[in-house]
Amino acid sequence: MTEKKKVKLLKKTSRSFFTYSITAMLLSVVALFFLTQYTLKDETKESLNSAAFRIEKSIKKDELLINIHPIIHTEKVAGLKAQHIKDTLLYDPAEDELEPYMELTRYREVHGNFYKISVRTKLVELHDVMQSIVLSSIIFLLVFLGLYYLNKKNIESVWKPFFDNLKKIKGFSVQSNQPITFEDTDIEEFFELNTEMSVLTNKVISDYENLKHFTEDISHEIQTPLAIIQAKIDNSFDENQISEKQYNLLIEISNNARRLATLNKKLILLAKIENQQFKTSDKIDFTEILKTSIENFDGLSELPILMKDMVPIEIYFDEYLAHIIADNLISNAIKYTASNGEITIRAINNQFIISNTGKSSIKSPEKLYNRFYSEHKTKKSLGLGLAIVKKICDRFGYTIHYTFNNNMHTFKLTFK
Amino acid sequence: MKILIAEDEIILQESIVKFLKRDAHICETASDYHEAASKVSIYEYDLILLDINLVTGSGLDLLKLVKREGKKIPIIIISANNSLDDKVEGLDLGADDYLTKPFHLTELNSRIKAVMRRGKYDGDANVSFKEITVNTDAMQAYVNNKSIQLTKKEYDLLVYFITNKNRVLSKEVIAEHLWGDHIDAVDNFDFIYVHINHLRKKLTKAAANYIKTVYRIGYKFTDEDL
Repeated sequence: MTEKKKVKLLKKTSRSFFTYSITAMLLSVVALFFLTQYTLKDETKESLNSAAFRIEKSIKKDELLINIHPIIHTEKVAGLKAQHIKDTLLYDPAEDELEPYMELTRYREVHGNFYKISVRTKLVELHDVMQSIVLSSIIFLLVFLGLYYLNKKNIESVWKPFFDNLKKIKGFSVQSNQPITFEDTDIEEFFELNTEMSVLTNKVISDYENLKHFTEDISHEIQTPLAIIQAKIDNSFDENQISEKQYNLLIEISNNARRLATLNKKLILLAKIENQQFKTSDKIDFTEILKTSIENFDGLSELPILMKDMVPIEIYFDEYLAHIIADNLISNAIKYTASNGEITIRAINNQFIISNTGKSSIKSPEKLYNRFYSEHKTKKSLGLGLAIVKKICDRFGYTIHYTFNNNMHTFKLTFK
Repeated sequence: MKILIAEDEIILQESIVKFLKRDAHICETASDYHEAASKVSIYEYDLILLDINLVTGSGLDLLKLVKREGKKIPIIIISANNSLDDKVEGLDLGADDYLTKPFHLTELNSRIKAVMRRGKYDGDANVSFKEITVNTDAMQAYVNNKSIQLTKKEYDLLVYFITNKNRVLSKEVIAEHLWGDHIDAVDNFDFIYVHINHLRKKLTKAAANYIKTVYRIGYKFTDEDL
């Protein structure tokens, strides 16, 4: 489905109001022109008829021909003809120009004589009609623009509480634990909207708080039994002469307890990043953190870790999370490098690039950052390290890319 | 040494007591906030192990109480909460160390000894076993008063061995002590052998014998025969 183009509410309502009004005005100007023209002609015909009637009566009475140029012309004729009406141009001496006239010609028999009676009247000129219509339209238009402006102001003030509250909703953060206080309004629909929004945001805040507490409680509840398991195993190692078989059993329990504890810690970290509980921005040199991290891995594996281009990367970032990024990517590289391979680390141009040797590209790069995804089921990996790195990158607007070239797996992390 | 263990999980409390008693420490326990607060105000202790989440109150409040009374007692927080904020708050309030559950008892033991060595508790910075002496301030080891050069990891390993002498230390426990969470990167801990061997080579022939291999399990630092 294609998304509809977004227009501002005020723009949209005033734009349609404007368009409809202007169209209606143009149509009414045209209609007015034809209507006026029709009415004028009609009235003119009526007055010609009544004038002809009066002349006829006068002829009947006096039997005198009346001639007033150019409006009345009577003459005796040989026979009767049908009455007709026509438009004509005549010279008007008063105006000294040709003027449009309407002429009614009628034939009558009066006391045995036939008369032709012509009456004419001057027509209102077309451009005069046009002129007055245009003039009145301009007056209408001015009135309309005034109304339009007033209407716009009115709509703006009516919608003001809505826009103010929209701004508040935009600034709402679930972490801030601050419910939104909406502007009071005398419009019922807006009031209802505010009430519903208040209920909704308060629910979101309380749900978020509950979830946070739940996560913390779970963490506490899981770590304590794990601590007991660990302590019991440590004591068994310490005080008893245990057989190798028993030892193997206990060490398996111990390792899995540690695995569970690590899993728990990582899930809590993921939740914290998701909940945006890291807000601190310290100015740090990522390259220094990287060096510390590499040092901390020293002796853990025989793999050579080569450092190239260790240029300082100064960024505003959470120091703890910076350590997590460095640790997780190095740990990942160590885990998936064969014993004869090597790891290369570079920090240059605001980028942290880590490569390790490998036989082939990973099969599903798109799943790489999914939680609990692991390409090698044989490796004891929790599948959370890269998910955490990706989550941190997303949260802080950094990008991470995986490529496979020349038998090297490469992760390139770009700080903005 | 007289230690107060303020922990509301009784089984964990008992396990800690059992472990520490083998080093001839006198252990007293408190199972809730009030018991801990009254014991702290009545008796003198050399060290307090403090759980933050005590059933009837916060361990952090107890920490404030101790500091307010001006007592110079080392305090190690043991907490189920791994959050950095809690750790920072605890240390800011004057705790000497912060250990996240779950932990190895040998790790707890070495943290206790590290805290006790600190100057502010008039501790001795030297750790010694027979002819081996380690000055923890200078991070320097001596065998028969002759200094030996150790890497950072070898040094940590030696201190860990001496503070947990006569205890069986598995490869896993040693790896976790030396590399912490970083051990996630590896699948097995056989590489510990390499580091043990390097350390053995650097100690004199006689001293090297103290690191005894417990077959397939791990190591034990002792001058007794297994």
